[in-house]
Amino acid sequence: MKIDPSFIWLAFVQLLAVIPTTLMITAVSVTAGFVIGLAAAIVRIYNIPLLSQLASAYVTFIRGTPMLTHLLLIYFSLPVLVDAICAQFGWGFKSSSIPMIGFAFISFSITAGAYMSEVIRSGLLAVSRGQLEAAYSVGMTTPQGLRRIVFPQALAASLPNLSNSVIGMLHGSTLAFTVSVVDINAKAQIVAATNWKFFEAYLAAAAIFWGLTFLIEKLTALLEKRINLYNRGGVA
Amino acid sequence: MGAPFDFTFVLDFFPKLASTLGVTLFIVAGSLLVGMIVGIVIALPRLYRIPVLSTCSKVYVSFFRGTPILIQLFLFYYGLPEILQLVQLDLSKAHVLVFVILTYGLHTGAFMSEIIRASVTAVDRGQVEAAYALGMKGHQAFILIVAPQALGVAVPVFANTVIALLKDTSLAFTIGVMEMTGKAQTLGSITQHFIEAYIALAVIYLCISITLQKLLQLAELRLLKHELPDSRDDRGSRDSGDTEDNTARKTFRIQKKRIYTRTAGSMRTEKGGAKL
Repeated sequence: MKIDPSFIWLAFVQLLAVIPTTLMITAVSVTAGFVIGLAAAIVRIYNIPLLSQLASAYVTFIRGTPMLTHLLLIYFSLPVLVDAICAQFGWGFKSSSIPMIGFAFISFSITAGAYMSEVIRSGLLAVSRGQLEAAYSVGMTTPQGLRRIVFPQALAASLPNLSNSVIGMLHGSTLAFTVSVVDINAKAQIVAATNWKFFEAYLAAAAIFWGLTFLIEKLTALLEKRINLYNRGGVA
Repeated sequence: MGAPFDFTFVLDFFPKLASTLGVTLFIVAGSLLVGMIVGIVIALPRLYRIPVLSTCSKVYVSFFRGTPILIQLFLFYYGLPEILQLVQLDLSKAHVLVFVILTYGLHTGAFMSEIIRASVTAVDRGQVEAAYALGMKGHQAFILIVAPQALGVAVPVFANTVIALLKDTSLAFTIGVMEMTGKAQTLGSITQHFIEAYIALAVIYLCISITLQKLLQLAELRLLKHELPDSRDDRGSRDSGDTEDNTARKTFRIQKKRIYTRTAGSMRTEKGGAKL
């Protein structure tokens, strides 16, 4: 078998068409993961009984097991659960009407939630306690103080880790092919198999992922500059 | 989908899955070994600022951190035999595990090199200067003075890498290695009890991760022993140590504390990121 450089470009063009799928999986899982992570982090920081233990168990479990097992577990157990619940209440909903990408969304959100919760927790803990106390002293309530004072600073502190999580989810989205979602990886497999040029197709896929990762990092760097404006020293 | 849920299958699957635990751990150990060697080779040019080579290692690290490991796995599995064919090397009969360990080794090597770089730069420059002042040579200073200190601060991040590697081995089934995930899938399709198989699989992974983490924590305690008596106040209550010894060590305290905080601040060696 000979390496065919022109096919790399051909595969590259075909792969461009499925970038939105990959980005969508990443965006949905990161957004939902952020919400889950925020909830889990706040519950653990405020040490709410029972809930905080639950959140710890969730984070430990997810971080201790591969992302692939989460996906497979959700893929096989969710339909059973949904069907059982629907049968119980007599709803006409069938689990088979859940689109394949839905499983990827749900499972990756759960995965992202655990990693995000650690990132958010460390970000929140990085903001000194005095900031919240100062907020109280000027008459803010706890939600106000959290929203206006603590969260912006925590965001700035955790931005590098957040960007790492986003990149992690981008790379993790390649697993979606196991539940037959056609993302970049799956498309590369299809393109490769139909032309019997595996190496070239994956080279193109790798190039796209490399580029996307670069892009995310550049965007983060820009954002970091903007968001850390408050944090500079000096007088002007 | 499949047969109704039956918890006894979970218990039933444990020993069956555990029989392939060896393959998973073999991949982890093999890739760690390869990764360690690659990591040192990649880190050295950047530590000593060798012109062209350090750019090469930058690109290497960026590529392996900037692309998903699954893509890398396929790339090497399909690409390596073709490339090596150009130099008349036939790899088509090589065992699949060779490709898996090689890919994971090269992947881990990129992270290793970052860890090595971050922890070596975290050691105070004055330590090397002091070593030179005592008449040590370059390699002596590195091996006797810098490496032991760097090792201690590297362990927490190293632990993360090892556990990430363990979890990544679950992808090896995609190119047909019969490790734990592959076994779970087979068991699932034979018995139609997929959920039980994957629950058992998740529990085993969880146990190994926790065990690895605990072991590496012990290693960290051991390696940072030389810092312990001083850092009692900032790292929780630990062995109080000899009081006289404490006062003797006090003079070095600020230096050592700075090593620790600087590492925590400058180390960004998690997964993801392609920064050159």
